[in-house]
Amino acid sequence: MSMSVRCFAGMAALLLLSTAIGCAPNDKPAATDGALVPVTLQLNWYPEAEHGGYYAAQVHGYYRDAGLDVTILSGGPDTPVVQQVARQSAMFGVVNADNMLFARAQQAPVVALFAPLQTSPRCLIVHESSGITSFDQLKDMTIAMSPSSAFTHFLQHELPLEGVRVVPYSGNVAQFLVNRDYAQQGYVFSEPFVARKAGGDPRVLLVSDLGFNPYTSLLFTSDALVAEQPQLVEKMVAASVRGWQKYLESSTETNRRIHDVNPEMDLDILAFGAEAIRPLVLNDDSRRLGIGTMSAERWQTLAEQLIEIGQLKVAEAQADRAWTSKFLPQQPADHRATTD
Amino acid sequence: MKRVTAWLGEVAAPPLVFFALVVVAWQAATSLWEIPAYLVPSPERVLAAAGEHVADLARASLMTAGGALCGFLLSLIVGTAAGLVFSQSRIIERSFYPYAIFLQTVPIVAIAPLVVMWCGNGFGGVVTVAFILSLFPIVTNATAGLKRVDASLVELFEICNASRWQTLVKLRLPNSVPYLVAGARISCGLSVIGAIVGEIFAGYGAQGFGLGYLINMNTGNLDTAYAFAAVIAATLLSIAIFVAVTSLGATVLARWHIAAPRNDTTREALATSTRRNAR
Repeated sequence: MSMSVRCFAGMAALLLLSTAIGCAPNDKPAATDGALVPVTLQLNWYPEAEHGGYYAAQVHGYYRDAGLDVTILSGGPDTPVVQQVARQSAMFGVVNADNMLFARAQQAPVVALFAPLQTSPRCLIVHESSGITSFDQLKDMTIAMSPSSAFTHFLQHELPLEGVRVVPYSGNVAQFLVNRDYAQQGYVFSEPFVARKAGGDPRVLLVSDLGFNPYTSLLFTSDALVAEQPQLVEKMVAASVRGWQKYLESSTETNRRIHDVNPEMDLDILAFGAEAIRPLVLNDDSRRLGIGTMSAERWQTLAEQLIEIGQLKVAEAQADRAWTSKFLPQQPADHRATTD
Repeated sequence: MKRVTAWLGEVAAPPLVFFALVVVAWQAATSLWEIPAYLVPSPERVLAAAGEHVADLARASLMTAGGALCGFLLSLIVGTAAGLVFSQSRIIERSFYPYAIFLQTVPIVAIAPLVVMWCGNGFGGVVTVAFILSLFPIVTNATAGLKRVDASLVELFEICNASRWQTLVKLRLPNSVPYLVAGARISCGLSVIGAIVGEIFAGYGAQGFGLGYLINMNTGNLDTAYAFAAVIAATLLSIAIFVAVTSLGATVLARWHIAAPRNDTTREALATSTRRNAR
């Protein structure tokens, strides 16, 4: 008995040794893996189509090509993305432009680098059967929209909303399905799809049509990282741009990854999302100047809107410090002159 | 007058001194380590934000107080009724009590959206969440108070041929009062938490807004100082309700109940006399 045990132990040791030796040559690529710079990217929500380009850059190895080992961290309701990046517990983050302006107003040293979604996917969905086709027809109903989002205050400021009850958004379309006099917030490629699939009759009203259009799914980082490791920031931006280009061309593989990390997102809704996101990424500006371009006017407009609706104080607004376009690849010279 | 000064020195001073120390340490920490306002605002900034938004904070506190108190009163009524039923029938208690525990363990944040779906948005939804959160301590304490009666007293009632109803009204109910008061003291704070969770999920719609709304909105736009001010307002509200419930409870106990501090001797006398009688 003891003999066989010893024998077994000896064999096991031999086996271990041989696998260790056998592994040694294979360790070479792993050693270059070690040379990859570890980078964290904190999302502002559960992985969805609006993060598609970042996942595409990961899935198709663009980050790796750039020498980056990017870990994408899922977010959720109230994830403190700005705070995480500002105090450098995450290197990069994804938020929307209004969050950036709020952050700068509180002296959080963060800066936006790249704006994949030029048009905000933010929308309200109403019932087709209600006959409502525009924002000014919203009256005598319940609208679910989050008080922690700037667009809610914009709509309340801009529209008469006679007899409208504004209530917090619960995060799903259940109430929309059961209640006729009910509208709710959504992202154009998500909630309307879910509501339609569940047998509802959603009609989409895009908030950007009212002129409130913050850049969405912005890549941003801390002032400190920009100052200390500008090359790393440049690589991260360039690889993310490639990722977004890829996501518009072909989203299948990326969507499978997103589905793996967030199984709630079915492949069909992600496929729909990837299609619906194309016109939001490609507008006149981005066709002319490249995906992710940003302009001073749009940042300024957003700051003025936030001031007007009382969400931002004039003295604290720092629209020009909230973003930089210097890391965006291949910007035509004339554009740099107008934005910097 | 002497009693007031004594009260100030013995009861009010220690917590106030501690509070002052905490504020000083907090202010010192934020300026010493230069903690940025978006992470932890200094007390100075919180005070400034509170001053700037004092009207909104007051209005929101009133709204939240309304939701919390309605939920709390409802839980007092329903909880006591449930305790009465549980105390009368062992089989009912065994069947339902585990589900009462469910109330305590239920993750309120997870079911709040469902409550909103069932009870609708607005005041009703907020009250329901506050009610769910504050019910359990009342149920357990009411049940315990109605059942944990001195066995010798029960025997005494039996000897005197008291009916079930008489035992309930003259013995069990009075016995349960201190338990109920203790339960209410736990519950009233929970009801404020419930109301704020309810506000974050249900809101009041056109009826106004509560502290939950202010907390939610200001964490959204990163105005941490204003959010802190709202949180502190919520805490003050809880304390106010707690003090009110406690002093009301003390009055009730002093008037009607032998368990009030001053009447310890009466109780002792009663207990010995019953023991003697039982023999």
